Amino acid sequence: MHFNVADVPQQLVNGLTLGGMYALIALGYTLVYGILLMINFAHSEMFMGGAYFGLLWLNILSKQSFFTGSAVGLVLLYAISILLAAIMTGVLGVLIERFAYRPLRHAPRLAPLISAIGVSLFLQNAVLLWVSSRSIPFPVKFPVYQYTLARDGSGSLAFTVLGASDKIVDKLGQGAHAIVQFSTLQIMIIVVTLILLFVLDTFISRTKLGKAMRATAQDRDTAGLMGVDINRIIAITFFIGPAMGGVAGIFSGMYYGNIKYNMGFIPGIKSFTAAVLGGIGNLRGAMLGGFVLGMAEALASGFISTAYKDVIAFVILILVLIFRPGGLLGESVVEKV
Amino acid sequence: MGGSKVDIKTSVQSARLTPKKIALYAAIAVFLVAAPVYFQSIGNVFMVRIFALVGIYVMLALGLNIVVGYAGLLDLGYVAFYGMGAYSGVLLGYVFQKLVGGADAPLAGLSYWALLPIAALMAALTGIALGTPVLRLRGDYLAIVTLGFGEIVRIALQNDIFGLTNGSAGLPRVGETIVTAAGQKWAFMHLSTTTFTFSKDLFWYVVVVALCLLTIFVIRRLDNSRLGRAWVAMREDEVAAAATGVNIMTTKLWAFSLGAMWGGIAGITYAYWVGFISPESFNFMESVLIVCMVVLGGMGSIPGSIVGAIIIAGLPEVIRGLAQSTALSRFLTPEQASRIGDYRYLIFGGLLVVMMAVRPQGILPSTRRARELTSEEPIIEEENTDLWEVEHKHDLPHKL
Amino acid sequence: MARSKRFVALVAALAALALVVAGCGGTTETGGEKETVTVKIGVTSPFTGDVAALGLGIKNGATLAIDEANADPELQELGIKIEGFFVDDAADPKTAVNAATQLTSDPKVVGVVGHLNSGCSIPASTKYNEAGVVQVSPASTNPKLTQQGLKNVFRVCTIDTVQGSFAGDFAVDKLGAKTVAVISDSTPYGDGLADEFAKQFESRGGKVVSRDKIQLKDQDFKALVTKIQGLKPDMIYFGGMYTEGGLISKQSKEAGLRVPLMGGDGLYTQQFIDIAGAANAEGDIATSVGLPLDQQPKGQEFKAAFEKKFPGTNIEAYDTYAYDATMVIVEAIKKVAKEMGADKLTTPAGKQAIIDAVAQTDYDGVTGKVAFDEFGDTTNKAITAYIVKGSAFVPYEQ
Repeated sequence: MHFNVADVPQQLVNGLTLGGMYALIALGYTLVYGILLMINFAHSEMFMGGAYFGLLWLNILSKQSFFTGSAVGLVLLYAISILLAAIMTGVLGVLIERFAYRPLRHAPRLAPLISAIGVSLFLQNAVLLWVSSRSIPFPVKFPVYQYTLARDGSGSLAFTVLGASDKIVDKLGQGAHAIVQFSTLQIMIIVVTLILLFVLDTFISRTKLGKAMRATAQDRDTAGLMGVDINRIIAITFFIGPAMGGVAGIFSGMYYGNIKYNMGFIPGIKSFTAAVLGGIGNLRGAMLGGFVLGMAEALASGFISTAYKDVIAFVILILVLIFRPGGLLGESVVEKV
Repeated sequence: MGGSKVDIKTSVQSARLTPKKIALYAAIAVFLVAAPVYFQSIGNVFMVRIFALVGIYVMLALGLNIVVGYAGLLDLGYVAFYGMGAYSGVLLGYVFQKLVGGADAPLAGLSYWALLPIAALMAALTGIALGTPVLRLRGDYLAIVTLGFGEIVRIALQNDIFGLTNGSAGLPRVGETIVTAAGQKWAFMHLSTTTFTFSKDLFWYVVVVALCLLTIFVIRRLDNSRLGRAWVAMREDEVAAAATGVNIMTTKLWAFSLGAMWGGIAGITYAYWVGFISPESFNFMESVLIVCMVVLGGMGSIPGSIVGAIIIAGLPEVIRGLAQSTALSRFLTPEQASRIGDYRYLIFGGLLVVMMAVRPQGILPSTRRARELTSEEPIIEEENTDLWEVEHKHDLPHKL
Repeated sequence: MARSKRFVALVAALAALALVVAGCGGTTETGGEKETVTVKIGVTSPFTGDVAALGLGIKNGATLAIDEANADPELQELGIKIEGFFVDDAADPKTAVNAATQLTSDPKVVGVVGHLNSGCSIPASTKYNEAGVVQVSPASTNPKLTQQGLKNVFRVCTIDTVQGSFAGDFAVDKLGAKTVAVISDSTPYGDGLADEFAKQFESRGGKVVSRDKIQLKDQDFKALVTKIQGLKPDMIYFGGMYTEGGLISKQSKEAGLRVPLMGGDGLYTQQFIDIAGAANAEGDIATSVGLPLDQQPKGQEFKAAFEKKFPGTNIEAYDTYAYDATMVIVEAIKKVAKEMGADKLTTPAGKQAIIDAVAQTDYDGVTGKVAFDEFGDTTNKAITAYIVKGSAFVPYEQ
């Protein structure tokens, strides 16, 4: 146990970034669950797949000097790579649904769970055996700055931007120390995550397609009778969820600097937890759950114990569920008589 | 709802022995006796060991089947009970050794036998302790809570909780021993011949098979008992079951703690069999694999769980064994054989998908569930293919 | 009933499959064309999973040794052909014991090189002991392995106590560190090493400002780094493997915590630098057992042979140890074959003789002189510290 008040702002930023990634992945779990009532265990492999697709496109595109020459080119390089990788991951998700889950649409509910685990094992081992068993560095070709709020040598507040090799004492004088730092990557992750969450939320609640998705989630058969093309809706769900997961995978690659064939496992479990914490099937719940879980982990790790941070996260989850059995934003369950 | 019409006749019929069934049982019995003896006699202990390993998973799958198959509660942290049994078995074993006067004392070998019921009880009590607050959660909420509990137990073991578990280094510590069960030496002395050794692995195989048979016997009795019928009724429709006088909480707790108990039995057996335990052996993936066994075999079906365990625990090892067998060494270099061994999980993952696509209800679904699935009334099929779905349709507002 | 028929068919199919496997694994081979006796050396380490890089390195080192042994005229004259029997232990204790059983099931296996992880070696060692087969571990450094009192267990690498206390002294004497944040990865190897380091560091008057454990496969250590940053240690010591070690190095430097990260042989691989990023890893330190390859007596020869056999592959931390471990067994095979005859090698008496021969090993290996003390630990207790300089590990010089 170690409590240092000065660490609080920085730990909140750490938690926010981690939470953003959890939220992006949790959306995929919750979308699929909402429509098919199935835990898509292979979703963690979408996260992993997205990262590898992202790396593939980065490598292909950065051969063009247009993309590496200027600042605009660099922004485009990453934007296009992320977009293409997200689309590829989405397509992969649709294919998996088509071949592994659709035959099981009317099977007992746990059957697709097993298929999902099979898909997950298959994809992990495919990357392990056919790509590499090693960690592969994930390039960040643009300069990363630390946007720093600090106390300078004289103790007053100051703001400064630090490059990779800058030392804070060189910029702000002896005795200066950071209060809170945001790196370029953290800002990018948080901002893009929030934009994606907003877009998705608007899509689901405002558009006709979103309405069809909600209808399918509520009652698949009735929605079908009302003229909703169920297969199309499910395919779209299996495109959006994995695409979001794929984006999270690329962010993870950039943020941590490496990707590996089993990188999806832990974020997968955590995000599933986040989705349930928020109330599974509930989109905003997944976002909230992701951020809450990320925060809980960062704070537990920073102030209580790194070894027990997952224990603390799970204890919070269990307590929330005991007192709110439907999750944070899930409506309380009414016993139907 | 077709499922709630429990046909008493079927269960009676299924209990009756037909000549075909007798033949089947005889074949299995012959196999169970002959195969390991054969492998042992040609010196292939590896296969005997794989059999025992599969047997331990059979116990785990049968135990979890009570929870998932009968009571319809998805438990993703079943290894917590497995680990509980293993750790309490080993730790209490030291206490036992002290009581009888050291690891070399003549009675020390009894520790496994004496602790078997105690480890089972410990695990069952853990099940009750966890179940009481969380069992009113439904479906996936329960799943994630059990997942969390499994992780909590593993991390606590890993961090040497209360100074008991020796952290990641595992048990036994240097100087401590897990004494092998009484009977092993006797069997080695008296049942070996000049060409055939009754090895330690064979002894444990016998123990595991005996425990499996006991498990099957008890679960069959349970299945046809008042409690078993209550489970089915509850799984089909909680509200209706409660209305007909089933105490939902108690019924769920019974399932949860009985399942946990078998986890505990498998745990202590695993610990004494391997002779070393560490927290890594009780991770989340293990829980998932046990759920896979139950579902792949067919939920609520005893033969199903057995077949599921055989396939999931045995298949990757068999793929590896095949690749490295001498017969194939004519075609494969050791290097290639080892490569194929590395492919075992890829193949296994693909097979899982294919098997579920071919038999979504599991390989050997229970008679009751099978009837539900092949019912002539289409509405019933639609409703019952998915009991939890029905449950969720009532309860869970899906707000997208 | 169709179902029971299917069940019978399934059981029968499984039985048949099992019989095929077993039949093949048996002793049915009748190789009678030449008078050569084939014996096998089991090689087992993780070929898959997180630490596969080190595990595959062990496989490479052993392969090289087996190839060289078979080219040795002395062995040919004795009529012995050595085959490698490679089994993946997936760095998992249960799989490791299965692997050990698979190896000892084959009567031709007269010795085993493995495992990488102490957590695997310890439970597996009792299997080798029961079967009366010698085990020489190239990489398991946890002291417990040889303290079990098993006469067939040896290792050619130095133990954690030696490495941990070396690192503790090094941190005080060479780096001048006064405070340290200690992290380990919740594995027997990492925890053991970190505890030994902390003990020595504190006994030399240093202060351990924090002691944390992380979970394997975790990626996000930002919160931990922020906490450590607030404690302003002179250095970080990490007991664990390169995957997590690299990430901690990277994340600490990115957060502005520019102090060296030090660790054990688990970090001593190029992968560590790749993961951390060369700029972040610069100045990080790893201790490793034995001498650097260039200073090893036959290091250059090994390097040349390795590059010829595995072009484009990096030499990992334990390759030379795996090579020596294999050679130790090969030497013992030669000795026993001369005394008892090659055909006796695979008998229990032959295997026992191999154990005895290994115990008396006196062999000039790539890593130096290999000999074992009464526990089976190597008498070669050399430890070298390496520092990352210009994106590669180089031996640390004052």
